[in-house]
Amino acid sequence: MPDLERFVHHVDAVEIGETTRYRRQRLVVGRDDVTDAFADPALATVRPHAASPGDRVRIVKPLDVVEPRSRGPEGGTFPGWLVPVNRPRGGRTHVLRGAAVLAAGFLPRNQEGLVDMSGPAAELSPFARTHNVVVEFDPASGASWADVDAAVRRGLLRLAVHLANAAAGAPADAVEQVVGPHPAGEPTGGLPRVGVITNLQTQGAFKDVFVYGRSMAGSLPTLIDPAEVEDGAVVSGQYGHPALRNPTYLHQNHPVIAALAARDGTDLRFGGLVLCPEPVDQASKELVSEHAAWLCRAAGMDAVIVTKEGAGNADNDLALKADALEAAGVPVVALYAEMSGPDGTGPPLVAGPRKGSLVSTGNYDQRVALPAVERALGGARLGIADAPAEAAVEVPVAAILSALSPIGAGRFSCADIEPADRREGAA
Amino acid sequence: MRVVHYLNQFYAGLGGEEAASLEPRVVAGPVGPGRLLDQLLGELSGGAHRIAATVVCGDDHAAATAGVTERLLELVREQGAELLLAGPAFGSGRYGLACARLAAAGTAAGLPSIAAMHPDNPGLGEAGRAPVVAAGASAREMRPTVARLAAAAVRLAAGEELTGSDGRVSRTVRLGRIVERTGAERAVALVLRRFAGETDVTEIPLGGFDAVDPAAPVDTPAGALVALLTEGALVPAGNPDRLESARATRWLRYDVAGLDTLAGGEWESVDGGFATTAANADPNRLVPLDAARALEREGYLGRLHGEVLVTVGNGTTVATARRFGIEWGARLRKAQVQAAILTAT
Repeated sequence: MPDLERFVHHVDAVEIGETTRYRRQRLVVGRDDVTDAFADPALATVRPHAASPGDRVRIVKPLDVVEPRSRGPEGGTFPGWLVPVNRPRGGRTHVLRGAAVLAAGFLPRNQEGLVDMSGPAAELSPFARTHNVVVEFDPASGASWADVDAAVRRGLLRLAVHLANAAAGAPADAVEQVVGPHPAGEPTGGLPRVGVITNLQTQGAFKDVFVYGRSMAGSLPTLIDPAEVEDGAVVSGQYGHPALRNPTYLHQNHPVIAALAARDGTDLRFGGLVLCPEPVDQASKELVSEHAAWLCRAAGMDAVIVTKEGAGNADNDLALKADALEAAGVPVVALYAEMSGPDGTGPPLVAGPRKGSLVSTGNYDQRVALPAVERALGGARLGIADAPAEAAVEVPVAAILSALSPIGAGRFSCADIEPADRREGAA
Repeated sequence: MRVVHYLNQFYAGLGGEEAASLEPRVVAGPVGPGRLLDQLLGELSGGAHRIAATVVCGDDHAAATAGVTERLLELVREQGAELLLAGPAFGSGRYGLACARLAAAGTAAGLPSIAAMHPDNPGLGEAGRAPVVAAGASAREMRPTVARLAAAAVRLAAGEELTGSDGRVSRTVRLGRIVERTGAERAVALVLRRFAGETDVTEIPLGGFDAVDPAAPVDTPAGALVALLTEGALVPAGNPDRLESARATRWLRYDVAGLDTLAGGEWESVDGGFATTAANADPNRLVPLDAARALEREGYLGRLHGEVLVTVGNGTTVATARRFGIEWGARLRKAQVQAAILTAT
């Protein structure tokens, strides 16, 4: 397989201006370029804003988040959306590391969440650490919500490529080699071949994830070239449980693949990536879990890390895979968020595997007190708190975007707390 | 101190399940396990603490009646209680709930109170600031449990704080904090530990999941009273009672007596966890009232219960859902419902 290289351009500041340019780690986003990227009959207006780490800004009703990436003038990013899938693979991808483009606003079934760029919630969301271009939007009159959703998604992808293009001529701050999977049968020097299954939430409109531009719902699990996922083959249109979402950005920067790549050749060999839908009925859950387990074994994986998206029934998708693989003698580590109530005294899981090792990504129900902010983006009110969007509010961790990252991006985690420590329970 | 003891109908000797609807009442002196408790209290305190009266309530009544905890506390107060002891409830859910709520109310009102139940009893979560001491799983462990309760009572009466060494149930508290490595990095570390031969490594303990055995089928549906229940958050349009769309803290009941169907526009689902368009277009597809009425007319079902019990299952904690289950069970039994259809989303 041709190698893919990341040409990394760091972003330390972002602002909205006249024309898009990137210079010395500063990204200026041209206002008209945003309008062009989001040009669509379903959208009346779009308004870009900059929000950086430390700003006293709250982003409410966040939708998808995308990292600016580009293959340069010849294109190649977001196959199935912006370019055909049968383009040349490999080569160089420009990455604006430290930047993100993010849409915020009302869509049906967008379970309301938030990102605070400063304060106690900031250390919980990965998107409080990126310099964000936040795009607010107004639907065109008469446009269907499905068309508005599609237009916003396409706009985010176009803008992400457009912004990264601005850095394509600049020297890279770093050049990184994307680590590819080691195929079955290749000698590993005695190291275990460790792979990943990433479950994608697939529950219909506004709760769907796309692979090469198509909904993953109804598909069997598939092995996929992780370099294609780096290139944007997986795009999220999934607006359920905010803390348990995996926006496109986290597929472009798959945390488990990054952690495996960091130890590839020393402790282990990266064994590949399987993408799997999360169907809504039990028989389909069993089918895709059995098939995913078979794919992992066919790909020669000696151990598998399983990630999910969403809550409740998605826990069963983890459990079924863990049980299938462990029964075949393949060790499994699965990432779960706990739901043990605001005081942490309830049972932590609704459903879990019979065997396997679990990573805790934190307690969904724990409350966090957020101070008031100067400015809110994405809406005037925070419905879950029934308060103005800028107000001081208390929310469950569940409301903070990707705070319980089930794909492993976060550093929030539960442990047994001794009674004496209970008063210090705030996150 | 003047001690008042709380028991359910069974341990008070007033009957089994058939008496579960028994209303609150007071019995003079100790009864049932209260006799042993009274004897041990007397021995440990040199006769200073004795059970003056026993307050009794049926399990279903205690678990499913609004305001019952306040009523029970009133009876306890009327007996001049200086100390309230509730249980032991062992593993019994409804009884545990009643003991926990009464002890919580007593403690909140400044009356020293202790409940006793098994650490897995779902009532434990309802005990508020009241101390709960551990009971065995069943009445086979009556004697050591009552001895523990009596000793704890003497310590509490002396103004001391109960701790784990008194058998105070210390629930595992799971709270999140920021750690050094990401979830992904910790997952890889766990994989490597598995290959290093550690078979049981995990950040969350496995096991302890409830497996509910379905009740036996109803022999003759034609004679049965059947209830419709849902965790799909179906409420009257406009959601007048403000049911949550996720993370439920309560449940509601709606009268459907005399309704043949749930009309679109009059009912809606406020569940935040699934696409509600189809359910709102025809709410009968979420709660099958139309089909159930047809079966009722055909004589296949005896009769439909007059109210639908409703909550939202989206993101609701296991502890809360268990409590709802106990309360629903008690309420349905009280109404002599023999079968229920619970629709989930």
